[in-house]
Amino acid sequence: MAYRIEVLGHQEDGRALRIQKALDAKGAEVCVRVVDVYTSEHPAANDKPFRSTLANPVVQSVNTLPDDFDWALEIGFLPGVTDNIGHTAEELLRLSSNDNSDNETACYSSRLYLIKGPVSREDVQALAYDLSNRLIQRATIKSRAEFKKDGGMEAVLPKVHLDNKGAVADEIELEISDQALEALGRQGIENEDGSRRGPLGLSLLYLQAIRDYFKKEGRNAKDIELETLAQTWSEHCKHTIFASPIDEVQDGLYRHYIKRATNEIREKRGDDDICVSVFSDNAGGIIFDENYLICDKVETHNSPSALDPFGGAITGIVGVNRDCMGFGLGAKPVINRYGFCFADPRSNPKYFRDPKGADPMLSPAHILNGVVAGVESGGNCSGIPTPQGFVYFDDRFAGKPLVFVGTIGLIPRTINGKPAHIKKARPGDKIVMAGGRVGRDGIHGATFSSVALDEGSPATAVQIGDPITQKKMSDALIKEIRDKGWYSAITDNGAGGLSSSVGEMAGQSGGFHVALESVPLKYPGMAPWETWISESQERMTLAVPPEHTDALIAFLARRGVEATVIGTYTDSGRAQVSWHGETIMDLSMDFLHDGIPETPLKTTFTRGGTTEPKLEEKSDYGPDLLAMMGRLNICSKEFIATQYDHEVQAGSVLKPLQGPGRVYAETSITKPVLSSPKGVILSQALFPRYSDIDSAAMAAAGLDLAVRNIIAAGGDIKHTALLDNFCWCSSDEPERLGQLKRAVTAIYDLAVKYETPFISGKDSMFNDFKGYDASGKAIKVSAPPTLLVSSIGVIDDVRKSVSLAPKAPGDLVYLLGTTKDELGGSEYYDHLKHLGSNVPETDGHQNLRLYKLLGRATRDRLIASALSVGLGGLGVALAKKAIAGQMGLDITLPDTGLSKAALLFSESTGRVVVTVAPQNRKAFERNFKGYEHCHMIGSVAFSENLTIRNFAKVKTSMLDSAYKLPLKGY
Amino acid sequence: MTASVLILSGYGLNCEEETLYAFEYAGLKGRIRHINDLIENPKELDDVQVLAVPGGFSYGDDTGSGNAFAQKMKLALWEPVRRFVERDTLTIGICNGCQIVANLGLVPGINKKYGERLVAVTYNMTARYQCRWIDLSINDNSDSPWLQGGGTMHIPVAHGEGRFMMDETTLKSLKDSNQVAISYIKPDGSTAGGEFPYNPNGSTADIAGITDESGRVLALMPHPERGMFTWQRDDYHELKDQAAREGKELPEESDGMRLFRNAARYFAS
Repeated sequence: MAYRIEVLGHQEDGRALRIQKALDAKGAEVCVRVVDVYTSEHPAANDKPFRSTLANPVVQSVNTLPDDFDWALEIGFLPGVTDNIGHTAEELLRLSSNDNSDNETACYSSRLYLIKGPVSREDVQALAYDLSNRLIQRATIKSRAEFKKDGGMEAVLPKVHLDNKGAVADEIELEISDQALEALGRQGIENEDGSRRGPLGLSLLYLQAIRDYFKKEGRNAKDIELETLAQTWSEHCKHTIFASPIDEVQDGLYRHYIKRATNEIREKRGDDDICVSVFSDNAGGIIFDENYLICDKVETHNSPSALDPFGGAITGIVGVNRDCMGFGLGAKPVINRYGFCFADPRSNPKYFRDPKGADPMLSPAHILNGVVAGVESGGNCSGIPTPQGFVYFDDRFAGKPLVFVGTIGLIPRTINGKPAHIKKARPGDKIVMAGGRVGRDGIHGATFSSVALDEGSPATAVQIGDPITQKKMSDALIKEIRDKGWYSAITDNGAGGLSSSVGEMAGQSGGFHVALESVPLKYPGMAPWETWISESQERMTLAVPPEHTDALIAFLARRGVEATVIGTYTDSGRAQVSWHGETIMDLSMDFLHDGIPETPLKTTFTRGGTTEPKLEEKSDYGPDLLAMMGRLNICSKEFIATQYDHEVQAGSVLKPLQGPGRVYAETSITKPVLSSPKGVILSQALFPRYSDIDSAAMAAAGLDLAVRNIIAAGGDIKHTALLDNFCWCSSDEPERLGQLKRAVTAIYDLAVKYETPFISGKDSMFNDFKGYDASGKAIKVSAPPTLLVSSIGVIDDVRKSVSLAPKAPGDLVYLLGTTKDELGGSEYYDHLKHLGSNVPETDGHQNLRLYKLLGRATRDRLIASALSVGLGGLGVALAKKAIAGQMGLDITLPDTGLSKAALLFSESTGRVVVTVAPQNRKAFERNFKGYEHCHMIGSVAFSENLTIRNFAKVKTSMLDSAYKLPLKGY
Repeated sequence: MTASVLILSGYGLNCEEETLYAFEYAGLKGRIRHINDLIENPKELDDVQVLAVPGGFSYGDDTGSGNAFAQKMKLALWEPVRRFVERDTLTIGICNGCQIVANLGLVPGINKKYGERLVAVTYNMTARYQCRWIDLSINDNSDSPWLQGGGTMHIPVAHGEGRFMMDETTLKSLKDSNQVAISYIKPDGSTAGGEFPYNPNGSTADIAGITDESGRVLALMPHPERGMFTWQRDDYHELKDQAAREGKELPEESDGMRLFRNAARYFAS
């Protein structure tokens, strides 16, 4: 028997008020009550002790629903979907009933909304659409009459029932036609009933190599072996596009450009090298101070976020936290960062996955809200501050949003006298899996299935992170166990699950054997291949010497964390998996890791944007400036900054909202060690639209701004490192590969010039949506080729940090750097619906001169405020400064022969606007002596206007509202 | 005597390290204890003078913030905790700790009846997590050892459920006995009057923190440990610039440190 416990919230529950507000906005005045529902079969679920643990009597009551409502809407999870609230309720049930047996104590959460007011069933359906996702949730709607007739809502137990028949390893015949091999790669292994298991993503060339391998072995492949090779050889894991020979570049883009840049810089730096562990681990590590290293990793989680924005984003952030926990012997996550690329949330393009229009894509607003909430939940629940991030809008992100998530970790340089960044699984070490259990979550990544999910097919496409399970594991491993020396190596379970984590670590020992039946499962009946490649979250894999396994597992148990020995690392040269004693996988390690055939790539390149528009010069640019401030890419994203806890761990120095006017900043500073004066400076930059003209300009501009922001905030270019995240589209087309090659070449040049090494990177090469429009016509929406450059630097003393807000009227305003006629791809041209041709070109040599001089001025504490000129150009930078300081500025721009529009809105790189106190003027100008691009352009005014003489005069308060209004309601 | 503080951890609490740093900076001895270890060895509470339940996201706020952790404490640790607060000790619950302490009924403890839930700390009116710096006024009439010196504080809040709610009788009783210890105000010192963002969560009577009757147990939503140093402040760069112009040194400590110093002072006297 299933028991339902309905906990009614009070009348002014904030969650209810928010829904009321949303419905009110649609013109219906309604009253909403929120009811938290728990469902369980355990007899004690009906008892008072348990029920009273679920309700706070001050504001809640149990099983006493009000009678005055018109509609009831209940949203609950589908079978197999992670239900964190249900898990907590289960723990309370065990505690309050003292039942620690293996009895069915499962509890399931759902939420009931009782709505009173003049709304139709369609309105409630629309609300259900906004509040839920049919991929992972069920929504039930009842009118009051139906509710009464049925005696309330049904008690639903979303249990997973799997047919145990599937729990064997199947043999796969590979001596088949090329055509059949291609189908196998594209659609996956065929089941008995003719259905397919989902794409392996293996090309014909790869499958031929695999066929030849098994021919040599003299046997058929097992399904688990094919699935393992598909994971290990995937673009996601092997980065085949960056590794393959491309045109004349035999060693591939990654080795030839990215890695070589870092190697050359490290060599040149010699003793001043800041790199410690680059490209070889889950994150890249640099020196923080004499006692600590910091590591950094930025991931993307684009496809999952397109399907389930909340689940995709939360899984992304807690996943990259694990990259940090898996750096060296385990770094403590100390800072999170984020970056989102969305389509305009006010637009609603009609895209469908099927030609009949039955399967619509989520709207941009739905994706934005879900992604923002997912990172909020993951970051805040994990107790990691999130001070830095950005949001960029372009309608081509309607098909796939880009969701960047990053984590910075802190780790002692040595642990027990040994370098902490070095780890090695040794033969004989036990393979221990710690954390959550394994379910069907995330099998084949985020392969979308249009078949409705039911009991038999639990949400395989989507995973939802459980930050608290992970937090318990993280605290236990990193804060308590690591320094005991109980394990030799650690890595996270991400893409490819165990197949990937065990396979990678076994590369160090030379082989492994896993007894798959020992892996703890969420529910029985999973096939061995599913267990092996499942991407269920919150798991780390450790290599533990046999003498420590008992202690480690017992310690984790005391922290509420499950850990299990699932096998042994060996030096057999074989990757072996058994299932109840039967060997079901036995591959040579060499073939697994190096058997992948090379695929040479060819590229072409055509520059875009052939002409510059002819613009009429205006007498007043005030209206343009106001319009620019309200553009999505420029306006404030304060609603995100205030939702993301940037103060936890108590180290926040330079915050996401700066100055009394709270301008949303691109750079943050955080002290990861409270007793040290040093801080970690972070920034990020990207310019996707520049790719429409030239991807080299796009890439260089991003790298330049990411570095420049660090310098502007007081960082030292010599203690700055970079991370590259390529999010490309259609990477099977020579033209797109040509754009890629140009971008990679450009950042090689600039990074070497700046001597800022790349320490980590990731790529996502197919950000395309192939589907249908409302008329059933096939369409393809491709994200613009995008490089995100993330920068990380160390500032020696946070007292020397500089915020972007002007500090006092009477201070002098300087523009550092050169403004050129470079409006191509700019926000201003986009505002006027032009692309243009003169995209900003980055002069690394000139910029570096400035950064060194500016760095010295900052260290001498001559700068009162500094802001890089970015999207929207100088006009927008000046307006942001006025808003931040809640002050006026009185500006006179020098006549350099450029058009007014270019002077105001050109996005030429390498520029910084600074303010300087009058008493520092002499020293400041002396500092820049001999540098010809230091222009005094005015002063911080004793007025309430931003005055740019001969261009515009606008009240700061008007700029302020134009800047803050567009996304205020989100 | 140097007093000792025990700071709880586990199940998603996450501010234990900086809270320990604050107490140690103020001169106390401190240790972090996982709740499961304390349940195994509750006698440890006999050796300490201060209990701190720090901020965090215990149990992910599932079933209401602080609820599940409080239920766990109630079922497994209630007697030792009750004995602890009845001694001449200090207890502080910050943010998630405040929600836990309120769910446990250590506040308001009217008529010294610990264990009764009389206030709820629940969903913000905006139904949005709010991380922002706010201004607080300390009740001059409170004789809580934590709040000696009174005045105002500028420190941050960061929570999704910080709204104090209670019935009229409880509110009156709290007001009458000066247990409403800390309230949200506007930067000019006037009352916030429920207005967002000065009162960031819609809390009844602008309440940011309350004490038990003795004043020895303090539960507050804002984070003093995140506003203990000047460099942590949101206006740090403005203050720093002004000090440089005036040729002054900025004080190292800021408003939040006062609470921790008060704890040290209480046992030093």
